Amino acid sequence: MEQVVGPNYDPQANPRKAYDQSFAREVYQKVDAGDEIKMCMQCGVCAASCPLKDKMDLSPRKIFTLIRAGQREKVLSSQAIMLCTSCYSCKVRCPRKVPVVDVMHGLAHYALRQGYKPREETALFGDKFWGNIYRLGRIDEKDVANRYFFGHGIGAGIKMALDNRDMGLGMLLKKRMKLLPERPIKNIKALRKMLDKAKAMGKGGAA
Amino acid sequence: MNYFLYQGCSLEASGVHYMISLEAIGKVLGMTFKEIEDWNCCGASISYVGGNELSIEVLAARNMALAEAQGGMDILAPCSSCYIVLNKVNHKLQEKPELLAKVNEVLAEGNLHYSGKIKVRHLLDVLFNDVGVDKIKAAVKKPLQGLPVAGYVGCQTVRPYGEYDSVEKPVIQDKIIEALGAVAVPFPKKMRCCGSGLFLTELDYCYELARDILKDAVDNGGRIISTACPMCQMNLEAYQKRINKALGTNFKIPVVFITQLMAVAFGLSKKEAALDRLLISADPVLKAA
Repeated sequence: MEQVVGPNYDPQANPRKAYDQSFAREVYQKVDAGDEIKMCMQCGVCAASCPLKDKMDLSPRKIFTLIRAGQREKVLSSQAIMLCTSCYSCKVRCPRKVPVVDVMHGLAHYALRQGYKPREETALFGDKFWGNIYRLGRIDEKDVANRYFFGHGIGAGIKMALDNRDMGLGMLLKKRMKLLPERPIKNIKALRKMLDKAKAMGKGGAA
Repeated sequence: MNYFLYQGCSLEASGVHYMISLEAIGKVLGMTFKEIEDWNCCGASISYVGGNELSIEVLAARNMALAEAQGGMDILAPCSSCYIVLNKVNHKLQEKPELLAKVNEVLAEGNLHYSGKIKVRHLLDVLFNDVGVDKIKAAVKKPLQGLPVAGYVGCQTVRPYGEYDSVEKPVIQDKIIEALGAVAVPFPKKMRCCGSGLFLTELDYCYELARDILKDAVDNGGRIISTACPMCQMNLEAYQKRINKALGTNFKIPVVFITQLMAVAFGLSKKEAALDRLLISADPVLKAA
């Protein structure tokens, strides 16, 4: 990986890249919780606390420093921003009180709106999950799972459903699955209006 | 002890045994629950994919506005994910008047308004601080004599706020386990994350997380795992077979809700304890107790 920070970085080699603040400004202004990273002092406690740190291409600490270094492409295409399990281990330990989970979620939401797909499976599942909320106001677990499986295409969907059949069957036999389709909540129309308005009013890079 | 019970989406399906056993022990302990009429999903931890922060705040605030309009009792959230999402948004709304105003502007689309007065609480908080260990002890009819229980806490049950228990070394669930006559085994991984809402889409990574937790529970003498989170219960129980296959392990340890253990210790029926809903039967372990 190209050295963009740290003791070996030579700003003379590429002076135009050295203190490019444009991406940092973009993150502070447009990404939910993005301005919180101003408090980061690069101690690395977030990375050390993270259960999936070993699976991440970049630790949260590196993500934050790359934002300051103007590395837009690297940050928004990073797998790490969608590997946060929301366990809050980092948040409770951060000495500067950075809400790391919120920043990672904000970055992921923004990256997806900008056409990046850091983790495709989670992006697809999350999309179906949100679709359920918008359509019904609640989650129908079997419906989200099926839409996620068949979101891969019919053939792949059948295979995924079959791969998961013992679990699905178990849930069915133990009466841990709703048989009938979930009905929308009573005031679903008002809820949709609220969500539309929040989308337009909030941050996150909505067009 | 009257509460709004915000059951959330999973307690209606994959975590229905949490709901059944909670209602059963609630009766014994004198707790009354009321559903928030027309509640909506909290969004859980994956909602960031589809919604920006304001949308997620509105989802949570709508539930609290409904609760305020319907009586203003504390919201009791048994699901840790519901608890943390509602609680987090509630804190933000209480601390930032400009955000509360913005959210109310959105809620007005449905003629709702939230003033910020609701309290959101986790079941463990309510059991420990409102009901109390003494009352729980007094309700025990069939003590779980010496049963070694691994009390798995996970993430969102106490983090990030730690309002009623330590974020690093929580003790409340273990105290309830001991009040039932069981033994809470020391279990260092009790605070590690099981993979949460990423489980289905990041199986390979999450298998390892769950394996480490299961192994730690078993290595420390746990014969049964107790939890107060439907996602933890689902991930640790329903995927055990597949974890065994993928990682060459041999786990067969029942994973139950703390409310199910309570129901058994209170002498309630198998049906009231919802033991019939488990994929890995807890009967042999519980009979031996």
